[in-house]
Amino acid sequence: MMEARAGEPQRTPMPEDFAALLRRQGHFPNLPTQAAASQTNFLQTQATTILAFKFADGVLVAGDRRATAGNVVVYDRADKVLEIDAHSLMAIAGVPATAWEMARVLEHSFQFYRRSQLQEMSLDGKVRALSKLLRDNFGFVMQGVGIVVPIFAAYDVGNSAARLYFYDAMGAQFEVADYAATGSGSAAVRSILYYENTWGKKPLQKWKHDDAVVLALQVLETAAEADTATGGVDKRRATFPIIKTITEAGITTLPEKTLAKIYKKQVG
Amino acid sequence: MIEEPYRWVEAISNRREYIEHQLATGSPIAALTYNDGILFLTLSRERQKIFEIYDRIAMGVIGHPGDIERLRMAAIEVASTEGFTRSTSDVSLRRLATYSLSPALKTAFEQVYGAPYLARMLFAELGRKNERNLFIRIDYDGSIHTNGGSHLRTFEDFGVISGTTASTNAMEKFLRTHNFADGDLANALSVALDTWTVGNLTLGEEPREELPAPDQIAKHRAEQLANFVIEAAVLEQSARLPITYRVLGNAELEPFQRQN
Repeated sequence: MMEARAGEPQRTPMPEDFAALLRRQGHFPNLPTQAAASQTNFLQTQATTILAFKFADGVLVAGDRRATAGNVVVYDRADKVLEIDAHSLMAIAGVPATAWEMARVLEHSFQFYRRSQLQEMSLDGKVRALSKLLRDNFGFVMQGVGIVVPIFAAYDVGNSAARLYFYDAMGAQFEVADYAATGSGSAAVRSILYYENTWGKKPLQKWKHDDAVVLALQVLETAAEADTATGGVDKRRATFPIIKTITEAGITTLPEKTLAKIYKKQVG
Repeated sequence: MIEEPYRWVEAISNRREYIEHQLATGSPIAALTYNDGILFLTLSRERQKIFEIYDRIAMGVIGHPGDIERLRMAAIEVASTEGFTRSTSDVSLRRLATYSLSPALKTAFEQVYGAPYLARMLFAELGRKNERNLFIRIDYDGSIHTNGGSHLRTFEDFGVISGTTASTNAMEKFLRTHNFADGDLANALSVALDTWTVGNLTLGEEPREELPAPDQIAKHRAEQLANFVIEAAVLEQSARLPITYRVLGNAELEPFQRQN
C-alpha cells in the first residue's frame, strides 16, 4: 500500500489526478483491447433522454428511467442523474456501465483534489475533468462499446450563477446559455425547450421552480410518445422521472410523492 | 557499525531520542466526542495541523512539514482508492492504521541508514450507527495506541497527541475527569481548549501526579490565546452529505478566541 520511503521526491509540482492514481494501481481501464471490436452482435445496455435547463433559482436536471438493449427494456428504474458533489450533477445518456463508472471517478476525483490540495477544484477544472474522462474513453467508443454523452450542470456559488454544459462522445464540452438535451429522445425535448424559450410567455431562465418541474415532466412525456427507448411515467408502478435541482443551497431531489402529486394535477 | 545486535539497539535508541527531541515542542492536539460527532482542536501560529482524510476520518498531526505531507497523502490515497474500488463504507481507520501506516512507519524507523518520519499522528473516525467513535494515535515508530476496543478496557471518548509523554498523560488525565461526550459543540470547544492548555503547560515537565489547578489553567489559556489562533474542525453526524468533515469558521471560534 504505502511505499517504503525512498530518497527521491515523490510529489511532482503538478498534483496527480485521481484517475491517474487509479490507473497506476491498476484499478481503472487502460486502452481497449482488440477483443472488444470482435463482438459485433453485442447489444449494449443504453440509457436515454436527459435534459437540463436553467430556471429562476438555478438549474433543473431531469432524466427518464428507462435502460434498453436493442428493443429490450432492461430496467425501468434507472437513475441517470447522478450527484457528483454538493453543487454539481452529471446526467447521462449512453451506456450506463461506462457512465456510472465515470461519475464515480469524477466524484472521487473532486474529493481527492480537495483533500490532498486543501482547496476546492474550480468549476472549470471540474468541467474539464469530465471532458478528459470522455476523451480517454473514446478508444472504446470507436470499437463500438461504451458511448456516453453526458450533461454536466453546476451552481457556481462564488459567482451566484448556474452553469450548464453538454459533451459529445469525444469529450468536447459545450457551454449552453439556457438548456441542453441528449439521448435518443432529445430531438423532441430540444424542440419544445426551444419553442418555450423563444416564443413562450417568458424565457426559461425566468420560470419559477414549480412551473419548471411541470415543464420537465411534460417534455419527457412528449419524448416518450415517439421514442420507445425513453420511458414515460408508469402510474401503476409509480415510476416517475428523476428530477433534481441545483441552487445556491445545494442539490435537491424531488421526492416521488411530490412528483406524483404534480403529475396528477398538471400533467396526467 | 550496526552489524552487531547491540549496536543496532543503540542506534535505534539514539534515533528515538533524536526524534523525541524534535517533536518535544509540538503543539498539543485534542480530539473529543460531543453530541453530534468529533471535535479536533489545537492552537497554532500559521501552519495547518488538522486535515480531512476521508468521508468520516480526520487527522491531527505534529512533526516535520515534509513528513506530515507524505503521510497525509499516503493516508488519503489509500482511503480514496479503497473507497473507489469497493465502497466508501469499506474505508476503515483501523485497517488504514494497522495495515498501511504502521508497517511503513516501522520500516522507515528501523532502517537506520535512512531517515525516519518525524511525525506523530492522531486519527479519529466518526462511528457509524451504534458504533463508538474511534481514536488512534500512531507514532513515528509505527506504534499504535487506540481509545479502547479490546476486552477489559473501557472505551474512551477522546484521543490526544502532544510533544512529550508527560504532556500527553496530563491531557488524558484531564479529559478523564470531564464530561463532554453528551454535551454540545460549545462545551466541547471549551473542554478542548482547557485540554490544550493543560498539554501546553506540562510540555516541558517531568511526569507528575497532579494536574495544574483550574485557575492556573484559566490564566495560561488567556495568555496563550493572545499569541496563538484556534484551529478546529469537526466530523459531524448530522452532515447532509456523506462528507462529514467541516472546518470551524471565525463565527464559531471567535467567542472562544476573544473571551479571554
